Amino acid sequence: MNTPAGPIGQSLPRLEAAEKASGAALYTGDMVLPGMLHGAIVQSPHAHARILGYDLSAALAVPGVRATVTGDDVDYRYMGLVVKDELAIAKGKVRYIGEPVAAVAAVDIETARRAAALIEVRYQPLPAVTAIEEAIKPEAPILHEDFAKYAKIYDAPTNRGNILAHSVATQGDPGKGFAAADVVVEATYQIAAQYHAYMEPVAALAAFDPSGKVTVWSSTQSIFRTQANLHECLGMPMTKIRCIAPRVGGGFGGKSEATVQPIAVLLARKAKAPVRVVLSRVEDMTTMRSRHPGWIRLKTGATRDGKLVARECELWFDGGAYADDSPAVMNFALFFVRGPYDIPNVHCEGYAVYTNKLRAGAFRGFGNPQMSFASECQIDELAKKLGMDPLELRRRNALPKGAKWFGGQEVKETALVEALDTIRERAGWAKPMPPASPGKKRGRGIACMAHSSAFLSTGAIIRLQNDGTIALQVGAVDIGQGSDTALAQMAASAFLLPVEQINLSTPDTDAVPYNSGTNASRVTYMVGKAVGEAAGKVRDQLLEHGAAMLAVKREEVALAEGGRVVVTGGSRRNAEVSFADIAGRSIWAVGGPITGSSGVMAQYLMDQGHTKMSGWLSFEAVGIFTFGAQVVEVEVDEVTGAVEVTRAVCVHDVGRAINPGATIGQIQGGFVQGLGYGLCEEMVWEEGRLANPSFMDYKIPSALEVPAEIECVLIEKPEPSHPFGARGVGEPPLVGAAAAIANAVADAIGKPVRQLPLTPERVLGAMLKP
Amino acid sequence: MTDTRFHAPERLDEAIGLLTADDEARPLAGGQTLVAMLNAELLRPRAIVSLHRIAALKGVERRAGGSLWIGAMTTHSALAASAELRGAHRLLAEAAARIGHEAIRNRGTIGGAVAHADPSADYPAALVALDAEIEIEGPRGKRSLPAHQFFRGFLTTALEPGELVTGVVLLPGPAKAATRFEKLARVEGDFATASVAVVLGLDAGRVTSARLTLGGCGSVPIQSIEAEQIIAGHTLSDAVLKKAGELLAAAADPIDDVRGTAAYRRAIIPGLVARAVRSALAKGAA
Ligand SMILES: Cc1cc2nc3c(=O)[nH]c(=O)nc-3n(C[C@H](O)[C@H](O)[C@H](O)COP(=O)(O)OP(=O)(O)OC[C@H]3O[C@@H](n4cnc5c(N)ncnc54)[C@H](O)[C@@H]3O)c2cc1C
Repeated sequence: MNTPAGPIGQSLPRLEAAEKASGAALYTGDMVLPGMLHGAIVQSPHAHARILGYDLSAALAVPGVRATVTGDDVDYRYMGLVVKDELAIAKGKVRYIGEPVAAVAAVDIETARRAAALIEVRYQPLPAVTAIEEAIKPEAPILHEDFAKYAKIYDAPTNRGNILAHSVATQGDPGKGFAAADVVVEATYQIAAQYHAYMEPVAALAAFDPSGKVTVWSSTQSIFRTQANLHECLGMPMTKIRCIAPRVGGGFGGKSEATVQPIAVLLARKAKAPVRVVLSRVEDMTTMRSRHPGWIRLKTGATRDGKLVARECELWFDGGAYADDSPAVMNFALFFVRGPYDIPNVHCEGYAVYTNKLRAGAFRGFGNPQMSFASECQIDELAKKLGMDPLELRRRNALPKGAKWFGGQEVKETALVEALDTIRERAGWAKPMPPASPGKKRGRGIACMAHSSAFLSTGAIIRLQNDGTIALQVGAVDIGQGSDTALAQMAASAFLLPVEQINLSTPDTDAVPYNSGTNASRVTYMVGKAVGEAAGKVRDQLLEHGAAMLAVKREEVALAEGGRVVVTGGSRRNAEVSFADIAGRSIWAVGGPITGSSGVMAQYLMDQGHTKMSGWLSFEAVGIFTFGAQVVEVEVDEVTGAVEVTRAVCVHDVGRAINPGATIGQIQGGFVQGLGYGLCEEMVWEEGRLANPSFMDYKIPSALEVPAEIECVLIEKPEPSHPFGARGVGEPPLVGAAAAIANAVADAIGKPVRQLPLTPERVLGAMLKP
Repeated sequence: MTDTRFHAPERLDEAIGLLTADDEARPLAGGQTLVAMLNAELLRPRAIVSLHRIAALKGVERRAGGSLWIGAMTTHSALAASAELRGAHRLLAEAAARIGHEAIRNRGTIGGAVAHADPSADYPAALVALDAEIEIEGPRGKRSLPAHQFFRGFLTTALEPGELVTGVVLLPGPAKAATRFEKLARVEGDFATASVAVVLGLDAGRVTSARLTLGGCGSVPIQSIEAEQIIAGHTLSDAVLKKAGELLAAAADPIDDVRGTAAYRRAIIPGLVARAVRSALAKGAA
């Protein structure tokens, strides 16, 4: 299909902007069903303990309590994407402080909470491990005794205690590479746990119908993953599980897998009434997920003239008590071990480890922000040692078009060099910075980033409605990032219609085709691709009907704006028929309803000849690379070490900006979340207990912490494999932000700070270090 | 449903009566701390006694002798914008302006903040530096205490059961004064990692008196008479400021928490103190 005109490229307001701005939008926590009960959870006070039994009598005696649920109500049925190691609710053992061990459904939330507090769980405490170093000791207590028996989709280590994944990859000959290096830098980078901090804490509402089918509305990034998890952990067939996503208030990766849906379903089944479970912020922070903390040891060698020749990496991720996406996140981090650079000789090893803490999982960037922090900081350290301009060193090593990615996939398009040339101009890289404020030191830093857009599979169904408008059915959940609007714009453009004439379905497993999830910067790319394919099939039928109705040849008609098929030449030139008339013909007379469907799969072959890999998940369903660069200016307080970002310039290749306003919104939002990761966000555990489980103690940046303008430059080099030329933009703006800030701080104070976040204390510590 | 009762008396004695009769009743001022604690289920009072309708707790009044009375229900934003806060009293306006965010300042009150006595909060250090008096009324009548005697420890004050903070009295400060409230926080709107409140009395360009107080560096506001003495009457060289800062750092008793370690707080106190004094002087007398 040619790139069509229409609403693509326009900064249309979000389809749901008015309802969200006015507060009318319905989130799961706003939903009420007749007879609905409220669920509250009981959380484990132990980091690691055997559950000996429950005393539910006091809770059940509270007037208004309708049901309780514990591990006794479930079988050992495990769920999970990569490793099936989680139950619907703790059974037999608890593995972190905060883990749900029981739940109560009652007529209101206060009663449910009060009853929950009366549930007594008898525990036999077990020794716990709350850090990677403790977890890997030979005598360490084992979190998952049955790890070997769990179902997995990768080659997991056996008999390695709490190590749940170990991956190795080698490209070229690292030994030779380092031998050829004139300069080598090596350092260890510490990375912290970041909380997803979505505005809407997780929530689920479950209601059974008389046939025994349950409908689950929840705040999720994937109705299909929700359905799969419920199927796995409750043993119900998918025919009996319907999952719907109403409006969702953010996810950032934290709502990709199961949250409180299993508990809501268990309570609803036992209480024989609909049950809504909405976690408080503290409960959300203590039971859900974080970005992976850990450390990365990185070593890079270059020749005197600045050619990167070798890299070695050892990465350790603390996965917490359950695997969730850990092996995949760890592998994805290694997938970016070279960053966007052409490093011919690489050896890397990665580990993911169980500890008695909150599980770590998917989080905007999926391991790449951690790796990019280490890699981009190290590039700057190398530039300093080489006496080279850090931007020039990056430019010289940019992976060229047609080269192979780590793992062996071909990079078909890249705009990294353009991004660097653009940012050099825009950020005034070669010019001196404005002078520092009194008592401050000023610095400037750069980071590049690469990320992928294609991931797994999806589908779309497009139907011509009787009035000539279009029904678009996709499984993607708009979690606030604006994909509904972007998908509607793409569909509208395919039919030369205004977006108002596109009816986008609500994500509902009973009604829409499969989509893996709203994650991995993939919806605009993957689902957009499916929309393009399905639209093409409907367009073909429109043209066929139109030609028949206008009595001309198929080649003589074309779509025209406003829902028409028009004759483009010959004696009947300009004769036309409306989509509505075509719909009428199709449903009442000839051919049957006009429907187009598509199913697409991301497939990019790896090459073991290029990169030898072991212990990895397959990444053949990951691809389509995107590039960008960011420059940041900071001021560092000489007394306190506090860092203020005074300027940020972000240049990203987005393929084609379907909605430039929304695209810039993603870039600015991603940068700000990266700024939080870089400067102030850190979940801190003290002996397994989260010490800062609220926004009082865990701080995310606000408008007052970000520069007045986050300058964004879009490079639009259309993606050839996408019907509308788009690439993903959800994650790339976060991926390098912390590194750009760290490099600016290093420039200001003359020393690197290799630990995230760069708190005033850590920066001052580096400044005072002799 | 909750079974907490809610009262909104119009008279102060009624409020005190309600609070005295039920030791599980809690006064409600701006609610910026209390409601957060209720939401977090840290408290489950049997009754809430709102102070909102009590006229005796409202207003800012100049009193005989030049002191300023500030009603307990005066909001942070009212104080931040108050034209009554002049001279040394500007310090309180500066501290008020740094509390939380606009929305919090619009509801939070000085009485609530003082009664809560969070050592990282902004008023305690400022009030101690201003030698303010805390006005109290309870079942046994009225009394008042100097701020440094009112704050007793972490979330602990001299208030007895049934007693309310009714107001804060600022005594007249030096005729010419320079002030500065210096605050380090992780992000805007957070409580202080550390703060310094400074009031300098000035005469013909010389510093004649000095009050320096640290917030967030101990369970109560930290003072050092020695530090104040070496600042008053001396030429303010870097060495003098450093010495004063070191004395305050030695007097401090900070803890390790999510905002920073005790060692970090001790390390930055001298620099913060020097900066606070220098910026007070740079602003000049008000
Ligand atoms: C997000 C956030 C950020 C904040 N940041 C800061 C900050 O940076 N700096 C800072 O100093 N503070 C900060 N605060 C706290 C804020 O200043 C509160 O307003 C203040 O601590 C309490 O005042 P209030 O009027 O809201 O009192 P309430 O919350 O109503 O009451 C607080 C406590 O005092 C009691 N009480 C109230 N009034 C009286 C009275 N007259 N006599 C006796 N007892 C009384 C109540 O029973 C309760 O125990 C912040 C609060 C929030 C929510």
